[in-house]
Parts: sequence; C-alpha cells; structure tokens
Amino acid sequence: MAETQPAGHEGREALSFLTHPWLTIRVQIGLGVIFVVAALPKIADPPSFAHMIYNYRLVPGALVNALALVMPWVELLVGLALVLGVWRRQAAAFAGLLLLVFIVAIGANLARGRAVDCGCFDVHSAGKSREELLTEMRWVLIRDTAMLLMVAQVLAASRKPVRPALR
Amino acid sequence: MSERSGWRRVLILILAAAACAAVSNLAASRERRLPWVGSYTRALEVEPAASSKEASGAAAPGPATTASVSPPAPAAGNTAAGASQRFPPHADRASAEIGTDEAEALFREGRLFLDARRSSVYADGHIPGARSFPVWESDIGDRVKALYEEGLDQNAPIVLYCSGGDCEDSHMLAEKLYMVGFNALYVYKDGFPGWQKRSLPVTKGGKP
Repeated sequence: MAETQPAGHEGREALSFLTHPWLTIRVQIGLGVIFVVAALPKIADPPSFAHMIYNYRLVPGALVNALALVMPWVELLVGLALVLGVWRRQAAAFAGLLLLVFIVAIGANLARGRAVDCGCFDVHSAGKSREELLTEMRWVLIRDTAMLLMVAQVLAASRKPVRPALR
Repeated sequence: MSERSGWRRVLILILAAAACAAVSNLAASRERRLPWVGSYTRALEVEPAASSKEASGAAAPGPATTASVSPPAPAAGNTAAGASQRFPPHADRASAEIGTDEAEALFREGRLFLDARRSSVYADGHIPGARSFPVWESDIGDRVKALYEEGLDQNAPIVLYCSGGDCEDSHMLAEKLYMVGFNALYVYKDGFPGWQKRSLPVTKGGKP
C-alpha cells in the first residue's frame, strides 16, 4: 500500500523545483541574454527604432525620440544585470514591466487591426505583407508572455536566499 | 533589502540608461543621431481600417494637411507651363499624391525630387538627381532650411518619395516643407519600389 503524503507536499515539491537555483540561474541568464541581444540593434540605430515606435501610434510625438534613445539602454542594463546576477530582483521586475509594455503595445495594434513591424530584435522594416506582420505580432505576444513567466520564476526564486553571494 | 533600497536601484538603473543614451547620442554619427524631442504631429493618429486601405492600394491617408487626393491628369506635354497647369500649387494642404506616370512626367521635366528615406538606403539606390532628405535623421531641419534659403519657386512642383506602401516618411517631409512655405508638394505614393518596378533609371551613391 502506497505511503500517504501530508497534504500540500506535492505542491511544495513543485514549488521547490521551480525555485531551485539550478533552474533560476539558467532562466535568469537566458532572459538577460535575450534583453541584451534585443537592445544592441536599437542602440546602434536610434532613428530606425524611433520610426518603429512611431509606427505603433501609441506614444506622443514629442516623446518618441527620447523613448527610442533611453529604452534600449534600459533593456541592455536590465539584461546585463540579469546575466551578471546583480540587483536581480529589480532587474527582473523591470524586465517584466518592459514586457508588459510590449504586450500592451502589440495587443493594442492587433486590436485596432494595424500591422506593425515589432522592432523587437531588428529595427529595419523587412517589407513583410500585412498578413505576415499580423501573424508575427501574435507570435510575439506568445513569446513575450512566455518571457513574463520566466520573469515570474526569477522573482519567485529571489524571495528566498538561493545564492547569497549574488544578492 | 528594504523596499526603499529597491526603488533606489530602479532609479539608478533609469538614470544610468539615460546617461548612456545621452553619451551615445552625442558620439553618434549625423545619420544615427536623434534630437531628444520629436516633432511628429501624427504620432497618435490611427489611419482607417487597414483592409479598406489595402483594397484601394493607397498609402496611409492622413488629416487635411496631408490628405490623399486624386492624382492629376496624366502627362500631356513636357513644357514647364504644362507642369504648372497639371501640378498646380495647393496651399490648402501639405501634399497631394501622384502615381508613377505623373512622377515620371515630372522627372522628364527635370523637376526637383526629394528622397525621404534613410541616407544609407538612399546611398543604396535612388532616383537620379533626387536629393536626400531623411526625415528620421537629426539634420532634417537644417536640410529643409537650406532648401528654403536656396530661394526656389515655392509654387513649382516638388516630388517627394520614400519606400511606397505604408511608408509615411514622404508625407512627414511634406509637412515640414509645407510649414516653410512650399505649396506644390507631390508625394509619389508608390515610392522607390514603384519606380524600380517600372525599370526607370536609378543611381547609387551618396549626395547627388
């Protein structure tokens, strides 16, 4: 006869796995690398990124350039912080906030039926058709949601002292 | 770690990003520099449903200052007087849209063409004689001012183009030129891809 486990044991075990340092380090570095890779083309060509932001039609004209200049650097610093494991909790929270902004921006344009180049990893228009762009936008929503789950994992794990040296 | 310390780190992160952006923008080359404050008047305007726009095959329409209008009648002659009749000034709006036939007619007449795309794209190929006026680059204001100071006839047709389709750069350029007094701005809606499709002459390189 199988040994009975106390109530909540499996849930605690699952939580323990999800916040295990082995997993957390990999998720954190993976997330960080994605942010660094996404930031570099935007830093290299701010006018093209400003053009991308403008195309979303969600940011007042006066703020488009400032956002195009600062946001990629925020992405880069957040990414580096995650890769290096410094200020992990704040970096993960900031990454989550950025992802929420991206999701809202893409979602709003999908809802309006506007096909826009995401500008996530490449700031040059690839000349895609409207249908291709709309499909890509849906995939971006799924990808960003998955990345939000990665953020949640890092935040959950950073609530307990998994790697004291990094905190 | 206290909550206050967490917020301080977030603030430091934002300030560090702004400082890096400022230094990077200062060190950037002219074509990659951006003014901190943008002047995009239509940044929050949403064009009508994309499906109807696609069906009509027109570029993004806009408010009264940049409204799409019916193109002028097809070319009937090659004289400058003919051009002024067929492509008259339109002081009530920034620009009117034209197709490839009209753009070609104006090209044959030696009218001024302005390329609103990025300067690197311009260097890869443009309409012969077209001048580079990249609206997304920091010195666009200087270029517009220089054109104004040339003392050109502000009622003579000027053709503006970008990448066709949904590209709005030529409309944005039209608004800037309209603000300094140019009254006969014609946006070639099919842009450089439409020009190439017709196998019309193109040239490569930097400034003409």
